[in-house]
Amino acid sequence: MALNEVLRMHEDLDKALAKPIGKRSWTMVIDVRKCVGCHACAVSCTAENVCPPGTSYRKVFETEQGSFPNLNRWFMPANCQHCDHAPCIKAANQVAKGAITKRRDGIVEFHYDLLAKHPQANEAAKKACPYYAIVEDKGGHYTDHTPVLEPYETRDFYENGKQLTRKHDELKGTIRKCTFCNHRLDAGMLPACVSTCIGRAMYFGDANDSNSLVSELLRKEKPFDLMANQGTKPRVHYLGAQDRSSLSAATPANCFECHEGR
Amino acid sequence: MTQHEVPVENQENSFFNQELSRRTVLKSSAFLGGSGLLMSQINNAFGLLAGERHGQGAGYPLAGETSVIYSACLQCHTACPIKVKVLNGVAVKIDGNPYSENLFPNLPYNTPLSRSAKVDALLCPKGQAGVQTLYDPYRVVKVLKRKGPRGSNQWEVIAFDKAVDEIVNGGQLFKHLGEHRHVPGLREIRALADAKVSAAMAKDAKEVAEGKLKVADFKTRHAAHLEVLIDPEHPDLGPRNNQFLAMWGRIEHGRVEFGKRWMYGGFGSQNLIEHTSICEQSHHISYQQATHQYAAGKWSGGITHMKPDSFNSEFIMYFGTGFIEANFGPPAMAPKVTEALASGKLKVVVVDPRMSKSAAKAWKWLPVKPGTDAALALAMIRWMIENHRYDAKYLGAANKAAAKAAGETTWSNASHLVKIEQDGPGALLRASDLNLGDHDQFVAVSGGKPVACKADDAGHAVVGDLEFAGTLSGLQVKTSFTLLKEEAFSRSMAQWSELCGIPVADIEAVAKELTSHGKKAAVEFYRGAAQHTNGYYNIQTFIALNTLLGNADHKGGLSEGGGHWHEFGDKHAGQFDVNKHQPGKLTTFGLKVTREGASFEHSTLFTSYPAKRPWFPFTSNVYQEALPSAADGYPYGVKALWLHMGTPGLSVPAGQENLKILADPEKLPLFFATDIVLGETSMYADYVFPDTAIWERFATPHASPDVPYPVSKFRQPIITPLTEVVTVNGEQMHCSFEALALAFAERLKLPGFGPDGFGKGLDLTRQEDWYLKLAANMAMGDKPGDEVPEATAEEMKTFLHARRHLAPSAFTAQRWEKAIGTDKWKRTITVLNRGGRWADWNPEVVNPKGTLVKKYGKQFNLYCEAVAKGRHSFTGKRFLGSPSFTEVEDAAGHAAMDPGQPLHLITYKDILGGQSRTLPTDYWLSSILPENYFLINVKTAEQLGFKDGEQARLVSKSCPDGKWHLPNREPKDMVGKIKAVEGMVPDVVAVSWSFGHWGYGASDATVDGTVIKGDARRATGLCPNAAMKIDPALKNAPMTDPIGGSVSFYDSRVNLVHA
Repeated sequence: MALNEVLRMHEDLDKALAKPIGKRSWTMVIDVRKCVGCHACAVSCTAENVCPPGTSYRKVFETEQGSFPNLNRWFMPANCQHCDHAPCIKAANQVAKGAITKRRDGIVEFHYDLLAKHPQANEAAKKACPYYAIVEDKGGHYTDHTPVLEPYETRDFYENGKQLTRKHDELKGTIRKCTFCNHRLDAGMLPACVSTCIGRAMYFGDANDSNSLVSELLRKEKPFDLMANQGTKPRVHYLGAQDRSSLSAATPANCFECHEGR
Repeated sequence: MTQHEVPVENQENSFFNQELSRRTVLKSSAFLGGSGLLMSQINNAFGLLAGERHGQGAGYPLAGETSVIYSACLQCHTACPIKVKVLNGVAVKIDGNPYSENLFPNLPYNTPLSRSAKVDALLCPKGQAGVQTLYDPYRVVKVLKRKGPRGSNQWEVIAFDKAVDEIVNGGQLFKHLGEHRHVPGLREIRALADAKVSAAMAKDAKEVAEGKLKVADFKTRHAAHLEVLIDPEHPDLGPRNNQFLAMWGRIEHGRVEFGKRWMYGGFGSQNLIEHTSICEQSHHISYQQATHQYAAGKWSGGITHMKPDSFNSEFIMYFGTGFIEANFGPPAMAPKVTEALASGKLKVVVVDPRMSKSAAKAWKWLPVKPGTDAALALAMIRWMIENHRYDAKYLGAANKAAAKAAGETTWSNASHLVKIEQDGPGALLRASDLNLGDHDQFVAVSGGKPVACKADDAGHAVVGDLEFAGTLSGLQVKTSFTLLKEEAFSRSMAQWSELCGIPVADIEAVAKELTSHGKKAAVEFYRGAAQHTNGYYNIQTFIALNTLLGNADHKGGLSEGGGHWHEFGDKHAGQFDVNKHQPGKLTTFGLKVTREGASFEHSTLFTSYPAKRPWFPFTSNVYQEALPSAADGYPYGVKALWLHMGTPGLSVPAGQENLKILADPEKLPLFFATDIVLGETSMYADYVFPDTAIWERFATPHASPDVPYPVSKFRQPIITPLTEVVTVNGEQMHCSFEALALAFAERLKLPGFGPDGFGKGLDLTRQEDWYLKLAANMAMGDKPGDEVPEATAEEMKTFLHARRHLAPSAFTAQRWEKAIGTDKWKRTITVLNRGGRWADWNPEVVNPKGTLVKKYGKQFNLYCEAVAKGRHSFTGKRFLGSPSFTEVEDAAGHAAMDPGQPLHLITYKDILGGQSRTLPTDYWLSSILPENYFLINVKTAEQLGFKDGEQARLVSKSCPDGKWHLPNREPKDMVGKIKAVEGMVPDVVAVSWSFGHWGYGASDATVDGTVIKGDARRATGLCPNAAMKIDPALKNAPMTDPIGGSVSFYDSRVNLVHA
């Protein structure tokens, strides 16, 4: 299985895309045993989604535990959890109905046009997210104040079926977050972070398809959900959190303890 | 301008590129004269242009095959195969190539381009940030000439042709700056230009060096041409052409062979020095010596690199490296290892003073004291011998036939006898010494009796006793194995443990684990243990661990890698043998300025020990010695330097010493550089020529032995280069390393370049004439019948459509086709459409039933005779043939660790950074890691009186004030924040690479009177090299491994003081 996982996920994706959107259930699985802390996912995400400085949909946290020479060091990737009971949706909709919605395939979608009209909705949603996964687009470009504003920063990009640009800070002040790269999904491609992960720690697919790789992984091993006790029902599940059998290090059980997992 | 070229509309920009690369539709005039077939395909391509077609990826243009060009990265030397997505002529996103080793399993080679477009393979963050190196706002796009003292970063824009003429012709080039000196031009330096004379002199100069021909006789024989020599009294120094030095740092396959053609056969200088000794050269040289085979009285043919077969290993021990950061290289290595770790199939151990990201995944992290890796390895060897945990059957096989009988493909000289001479172990005993046979036969002892043994004898098996010490025919002898055992037993386990800082229990546990997996275990190493003055010996101890396991060619053991299709075309007549075809080429001769590949004793400079500067008989590319040697005029001075893709003022330990030389026109009269930015060192040049960036040019990088199947990568332009368009050989091309080489060749009439450069009717007038032949050679394969399929009509269309944004100065199908001929064009397009060539995924290769499919199949030298016969050029003492633990020494052979400094300095690479590139200038990366820091153990920080996050300054005996002293510039502080962690060996400070820039856009530059402001984000952190030890015996250079040639990065004692 392990050797074929990318192509298998592509097959899973093609199968899911052949179904109506309401029959898909997009799910991400992250095996923390295999995360090597390289940040390739974060860079890929930033490049794919043309995020401005200081904004990233994906972060990789890192810490060490113990004391010399007996210690662990580990890495923890995190992004929007696409909660089925998303606190951000509730919070934003109290200000501006429809500013954040839940798609039928499980993706939590931000509607920039509405959010732009209702600054408080942005604030409310950002505050409501227990995962700190929502970031504000503060505008600007990496190459501002250098000799050249470079073309990769002003290019068109694609989110939620729309063509966007940040050429003139169009999204400044708006909140942003992971979309599961649904523009790529629609084109038959895996999310950027999943494709690029050099530890092959990341999986993506349709949980409604019991034969999909993500379904198989979630059956084989009890996954760990961040802050499950808050009832958010996240769509990002973690593997390897409590498994310390094959590795002496790199198992962030304690991370999840602090974050009140189940 | 040829009839096929049209003016380029998007290159009319000023010094820094100020315009987006906008879509340039191919002009129809570019195709006048194209074949009918080609014309029809082009017409189709234009048809496609009208109605952008993106298939399934409607609304997302990057999902379509016509938005993709495959190429190869070079943000690090791994040179991953990449897939670059282009949107409106801009390269916007870089991923891994799914046809390549960056995907398991890789897509079958015949996968349609429309399918592969949707599958992104993995790629590390540096590779992805290539977009920001390509579109770096500080890129140089026009030729610059300095307008102040060297290093002042004041420039004027100069026309390409004028700059080339000035460099070729020399003269009073800087009179307007008040420098009234004659600058020698390349024409003057290239004194020897006659191919016949060069060949005759080369032959005789070699005989002079070997003592076979007297200098006086040489002078008589070559009386008419003595003026071409640097010194007629020392013909073995070579011609004055050698006084032109090329330091071409990170130049790699494809480009380096082009460069060698230019420098050697063309210009006639020996002095092409690459950067390898600041990377991990001693690792290469150790492997080479351990794998040289003896034939016709010579040891040769060794390979420089092997890797664990990590698809199948059950245990890997990493010394001073890992599988996540640096090494060669993470994208292909990491997923194999993480998968095997997570599934419980594999255990790894990481030996490193720093708890690296790899160590974070390890079964055991062994926090070794820096530079004591050999002590740890020898302790393990001791334990393995004491407990009989080595493959005695393997080691007993004394030749190929015995290996075969033992079911092995490789064997060793463990049982071969070594003569013990008065000053230690020397040559291997020969059968002729005992009248048992000839000089090509070695001797093993079998059942108490000496037996002659020819190493590669496949017919007559010789099994030798591993342990023997005695006297045969009056000669004192010991087996190679006995010598290794004596070294391992020279200290107790407790003593070895004390030296390396690893508890005996851990050493034993790791040795036990290493020897508990049969052949499915391997020891892996790269830079860490290699970059010491004793780097060569350290690496030999690791190779010995593998040899004791007898793991080479075994599934899960040590692998030679899958190799590649040979792009230089020397395999069959259906290819272009590019290197062979250089009519009229010069024969280079004489010493390199670094005295590498030469013995002091075999030179006319030898009178007695010590030499003035060290000689390096076993190695090459001793980068750190080039400039200091030139400055000392030993063996001769240098008149001109071409620096390319290297920054010896920053990246070499004690780089400030190099800068002193580079800034001094008396020591270095002419200095020009090709670079993509004004770097730390190129800013000291007299002229800077803009080079094309990785994504704008060609090359053929090779894969690491980590990949078990054949791989041929092809780098090719993805966008129209941002550099200015110049005219060379009557053709328009973008300013680059190649354009400059071609322009010099045009003026100097260098053999092998220009019209008929490859021979009658075969031009080398633009770079495509060279590089596309390499792609064609890949397409044709290593033997007839091994060709790739021809591109289909659909793929031909895709090829053109995907390149629709390229200007004619960078791409015309007609000119490209002409470079290789119509007969090979369609097969070559198959290669170009995939960015190279890959074997299809084959379970029998990646998971073989028996031994590995691609085999090394030869001898390992547990004792390296060639090295043991060599002598240290200062002390005259023998080098050691056995893997050994030795002390750190300076050039004079004196103990070199500075006392009185509390900390040992080491460096490392975060995966986000290269040594001198990528961080912090690629902003996506520096937004994650904006600066480096002093990584030290929490207790050490406390002892030194530092709190976490406090500012500190790095000082040492070589650099007491903790500043880089930059000639003609303000000093640069070696200051950074303390990062106190548990994961560091106490009393060691680690500083990552990539930071501490003063060039590279970190500081202001003035061009034609306009100040280009530097970017403070690019000036963060520090580069610790200025604190590294200056060799007290040399005074202007760092310390060096006299065998492997690696510069010492990790033998400096330092201190941290409050900043």
